[in-house]
Amino acid sequence: MSINLNVNSKSHEIDVAPGESLLKALRAEGYYGVKQGCDTGECGACTVLVDNRPVNACVYLTRQAEGKEIETIEASGEHPEQGWKLTEGLHPLQQAFVAGGAIQCGFCTPGMILAAKDLLTRNPNPSEAEVREGISGVLCRCTGYVKPVQAILHAAAVLRGEAEPGEMITPDDIDALFISLPESPAQETSEETQTSVQVLPKVLIAPQTKNWKHVGQPEQKVDAVKLVQGKPAFAADFEIRGMLIAKVLKSPLAHARIKHIDVSEARELPGVAAVLTHKDIPRVVYSTAGQSHPIPGPLDSFSLDNKVRFVGDRVALVAAENSEIADQALKLIKVEYEELPSLVDSRLALDNEALLHDQPEYVDFAESDASRNLAARLHIDIGDVDQGFEAADHIFEHEYSVPKVQQAAIEPHVVITYWDEDDRLVIRTSTQVPFHVRRILAPVLQLPLKRIRVVKPRIGGGFGGKQEVLIEDVAAHLTIAAGRPVIFEFTRQEEFVAARPRHPMHIKMKTGVKEDGTITANEMYCLADTGAYGSHALTVTGNTGAKAMAIYVGDGEYRQNPNIRFVADIVYTNTTPSGAFRGYGVPQGFWAVERHMERIARELELDPIEFRMKNALREGELQPFSTAWSEGREPVPETIETNGLEECVRQGRAAIGWDQKFGIEGWHQVSGKPTLRKGIGISLAMHGTAIPYLDMGAASIKMNDDGSFNLMVGATDLGTGSDTVLAQMAAEVLGVPLEDLIVYSSDTDFTPFDKGAYASSTTYISGAAVVGAAQKVADRLTYRAALILNERGDGPEVNPSEIRLADRRATTQDGRFVTLEEIGQHALHQGEQEQIMAVDSYVSPVAPPPFAAQFAEVTVDIETGQVVVDKLVMAVDAGIIINPVTAGGQIEGGMTQALGYAVCEEMIYDDKGVLREQNLRDYHIFQANEMPQMETIFVETFEPSHPFGVKAVAEIPTDAVAPAVANAIMDACGADLNVIPATPERIWKSLKESAELK
Amino acid sequence: MKPFEHHSPNSLEQAFDLITQDDNNSYYYAGGTDINLQLKSGILAAESLISLKNLSELKGIEYKENNGLKLGALTTLRELQRTKTIYNHYPALSQAAGLMASEQIRSFATLGGNLCNAAPSADLAPPLIALGAIATISSKFGEHKVPIEDFFLGPGETVLEEGEILMQITVPPPNGETLFIKHTPRMFMDISVVCIAIRLLMNNGICNEIRIALGAVAPVPLRAVNAEAELAAQPFSSNNISRAAQIAAEECSPINDIRGTAAYRRRMIEVLVRRGLSSLNENYSKV
Ligand SMILES: Cc1cc2nc3c(=O)[nH]c(=O)nc-3n(C[C@H](O)[C@H](O)[C@H](O)COP(=O)(O)OP(=O)(O)OC[C@H]3O[C@@H](n4cnc5c(N)ncnc54)[C@H](O)[C@@H]3O)c2cc1C
Ligand code: FES
Ligand code: FES
Repeated sequence: MSINLNVNSKSHEIDVAPGESLLKALRAEGYYGVKQGCDTGECGACTVLVDNRPVNACVYLTRQAEGKEIETIEASGEHPEQGWKLTEGLHPLQQAFVAGGAIQCGFCTPGMILAAKDLLTRNPNPSEAEVREGISGVLCRCTGYVKPVQAILHAAAVLRGEAEPGEMITPDDIDALFISLPESPAQETSEETQTSVQVLPKVLIAPQTKNWKHVGQPEQKVDAVKLVQGKPAFAADFEIRGMLIAKVLKSPLAHARIKHIDVSEARELPGVAAVLTHKDIPRVVYSTAGQSHPIPGPLDSFSLDNKVRFVGDRVALVAAENSEIADQALKLIKVEYEELPSLVDSRLALDNEALLHDQPEYVDFAESDASRNLAARLHIDIGDVDQGFEAADHIFEHEYSVPKVQQAAIEPHVVITYWDEDDRLVIRTSTQVPFHVRRILAPVLQLPLKRIRVVKPRIGGGFGGKQEVLIEDVAAHLTIAAGRPVIFEFTRQEEFVAARPRHPMHIKMKTGVKEDGTITANEMYCLADTGAYGSHALTVTGNTGAKAMAIYVGDGEYRQNPNIRFVADIVYTNTTPSGAFRGYGVPQGFWAVERHMERIARELELDPIEFRMKNALREGELQPFSTAWSEGREPVPETIETNGLEECVRQGRAAIGWDQKFGIEGWHQVSGKPTLRKGIGISLAMHGTAIPYLDMGAASIKMNDDGSFNLMVGATDLGTGSDTVLAQMAAEVLGVPLEDLIVYSSDTDFTPFDKGAYASSTTYISGAAVVGAAQKVADRLTYRAALILNERGDGPEVNPSEIRLADRRATTQDGRFVTLEEIGQHALHQGEQEQIMAVDSYVSPVAPPPFAAQFAEVTVDIETGQVVVDKLVMAVDAGIIINPVTAGGQIEGGMTQALGYAVCEEMIYDDKGVLREQNLRDYHIFQANEMPQMETIFVETFEPSHPFGVKAVAEIPTDAVAPAVANAIMDACGADLNVIPATPERIWKSLKESAELK
Repeated sequence: MKPFEHHSPNSLEQAFDLITQDDNNSYYYAGGTDINLQLKSGILAAESLISLKNLSELKGIEYKENNGLKLGALTTLRELQRTKTIYNHYPALSQAAGLMASEQIRSFATLGGNLCNAAPSADLAPPLIALGAIATISSKFGEHKVPIEDFFLGPGETVLEEGEILMQITVPPPNGETLFIKHTPRMFMDISVVCIAIRLLMNNGICNEIRIALGAVAPVPLRAVNAEAELAAQPFSSNNISRAAQIAAEECSPINDIRGTAAYRRRMIEVLVRRGLSSLNENYSKV
């Protein structure tokens, strides 16, 4: 059926099936700015304007749009200079999003801008609350909404003629950034402070950074301009002739053997190009974890197996001409299962009659034992724990639990595979680990590694979920089978049932404490649930101990000789396999440790902050776990060189007004609201930076004729801004503005190796590689500058070592200079010709921990159990901050994810192994209009192991929000939670039970 | 998903004919937000979709002081939320609409669709029940009216027969104070754990008329008639307010589901009804 569609004032005659959504129709017409994040009306990524009203194109039938005017992001504005053609440039909203750092991955950006357009048409002068309401239907998993809201407020002012587009961050703001904070406690903040446009976090600046021009500056993200236009930059925004759609037949049972599988009817269905079962492809055992070689975990997975181990496990793969045919083909596959006993509760996993991995190909790692459902086991003893307990006056023992939660990146996993003209397999995929994908898939596909090319385009958020070789093999097998390009895209439901969420855990804490609050011994037992497969099983859980149990070493003699024990069993269950999720085991650990510390402090009537600081790790001390564990490799003792924890506590405490609130008579009450109680809580956190002696990053820099440079990195920017901060470091060394660096990441054919985006390591590891490469190029630049100057002979002979690079020039001490453009042309065309280009690599011998103090303020309704988190303050020592806007965005976004962990996100399985939350309505992630006020403070320290003194920033914000919120809830109403999320019903129950006890 | 047909009839007659001609795999739709998801998930297998969007009889918002409010079934949630007259005279209705879904869904999801879809948690039902609203239903064979409180038969089931169309909702002139409270785990774009709507008319400190409607706590949106009886013709006190709230909690029959256990829902009904009654009572004592 052919209809007429008006899109951006252009008329399209299109063929559309009666039930086709507008989303599908628009993307088919090349409007790739319309994104798909759920296809069920929940995420808002597909927002377009229909007759000037925002609608979710995915639940809007194309036929409904007949005769209406549709507007997509493509109509909003474009790059101002296009060769000889000048355009009106970007829309003020787009300009503000770029300038204000409102874009991280950019996947939600088109939807947000269109929702904001609708708002500003209705209401040119909105309040902050109205802006939040206006964009509340567009979910963003990256930003925490702080910067998008500020960008919209700013754009509104521009459109009213009250501000200039360029004023989003002014030089004054930047100056203000670099002053010390007032030391006196903050005044009670009024609601009004929220509405001001304040893009930059506070930074307590380190003195080493004084003369830097690019590092430390709030530079605009290098990829922002393309993302704000909704350019086809993501993996699915790609057209290639004859592409097939892949779908996977998923297991309805939690545990079963496939007795018979008959695909003959499916294969015969017209339009089906390939159907594959375990019988059709080689049986290669591997691990889907995207980690360096050799993978520190068991090998227990197959692309397709004769057994299914969770509801949603793969049974068969189909490639067809379109998704309807693929769906039909799935229905035609006949499977006879032999149902096996299944296992959902991790507490029953060890030696259960349900045995998940009985296949002979299973390869153990370290202490895994498939015959007992044990994917990994850890036992780390530091000092003499038993003696420590004997020395204690009090022993505290409690149990804690954390649920499985989903990364919920708004862009689902998506991959396109095709054979190129050299018969090499190209894999264009939404991955955090392109090089690991290539290495891991080569044996699985039985292709030599050199015949695989992995391309990582822009990624719509990953948060660890894309540190997994999760979907690439599906498309690749089908491309091999059908000889045609294949796209495979997870549905939102598949994201929930079949991706790799955070490990749920049951944790037992036992702590010995002296009367004066000295911790004498600390013990954690952790039962972690890796689900059906053991990817990341050992390393995630190892981190739970290695970070969360490292922070409290004890005081006095215990500082040198802490007593710490960490024991963990990581078990298989018939549920969705767990994997990597930002924080990587550490949020689980801090939930238990920090709830436990709060209870101890309260029971011993110690000040919760003093008690923590008395026992916390300090500068110059050993990271205790560095003596005992290193992700399954040989440990190397490591001293903490920088630790800003004390200053973090001081700043955070002032910013939240701790001293005016904590323990203050009457503060808990809310006047006129007898059922409300206010509370305040703290949690400390520490993380790691990269994996020492293992993970390598490399970068190459190539100079062009005009003095610009190509910076090529294998590091994978997935929205975090790593391309930008890496370019800032190169710019600092090369003395050029950021715009002279053309950043490209990442492509296994064209960029040097990088382990990928995980372990909070890109700025640190890949950054050091960039600095190394830039230094080598800089050496060539100064050499050639001296060459040119000395050829010119208009002054005394210069030596390269006397030449400095800045402002696109190589300048001598007496002020003579050569421009970089001259150098570029000279090198390529004139004398002693060479391509100026360098590559460098970096592996770190240390993993310097960032530290943080997290504060939360909440209001609890003691009748309904409803918690409103009013404010989150996080003061972070992440070393030197390369870019305060992008780093601030990391903290805001990370805290927001962690807030979901604290109060509303969880995945629950019924006893048949069926997941309860399979969409973004049942699984709720925070919207713009539910957010607390958030404040970020950076306390800089200069980490000596890195050329620019950086430590990690990306993961630590996920570590401590949940315990800080729960500690605040306890402060508010006494509800003492062992389990998150703190749903209204849980709090209500806890209050009811304690009332019944009394 | 089966391939199907799509029709956009321009007159009611055509619309009626399309359903009776076809078998029972033909469906009317308005905004399509509910039906679209049902089609995608395979819950619904439709051969033919019939858009109601061109039917002028289903459009329009009209308020008259003596007759009250007439709302075409195609009225969008956005219109309910943002139309000044509705907001001024029936704040509970407009608040309920504003708390539903998201801006982008409210742009095209309709009043008629929310009622006809008949989810136990349909947020517009409690305020319309409390307001005493009446549905006008038409078919080939004529027109009839049904009070909204009798409109629902069970989850997904209404009094609508095959081929009937919900035309219009009429709401009597405002009479007394109204209020809507929605309790969700989070605040927004969240299906109600429970929601309540109350309309109260007090004369000289005596409860003259009271209607308490409850959502998401029974197979259908419910009127708490026993709780109403407890309060009828009486002055309010904290005692009878609490009693009425308890009675309301006993009157409903909530289930355990993803959004809450039955026990929690029951207690939340008690809390919300108590709060709602107290706050309406305070409004009266202020004047
Ligand atoms: C993301 C999301 C969030 C949501 N949040 C909420 C929420 O918070 N609260 C809530 O209550 N609902 C919510 N909904 C549900 C939905 O948006 C509403 O129920 C909406 O009002 C339905 O209207 P519609 O016009 O889109 O219905 P449609 O899908 O067009 O129709 C729904 C049903 O009603 C029938 N129908 C529609 N109009 C008529 C008519 N005039 N005569 C006869 N039959 C008719 C159709 O045949 C169909 O069976 C949400 C939906 C989504 C996608
Ligand atoms: S893709 Fe349409 S709302 Fe998510
Ligand atoms: S920037 Fe919003 S989802 Fe990534």
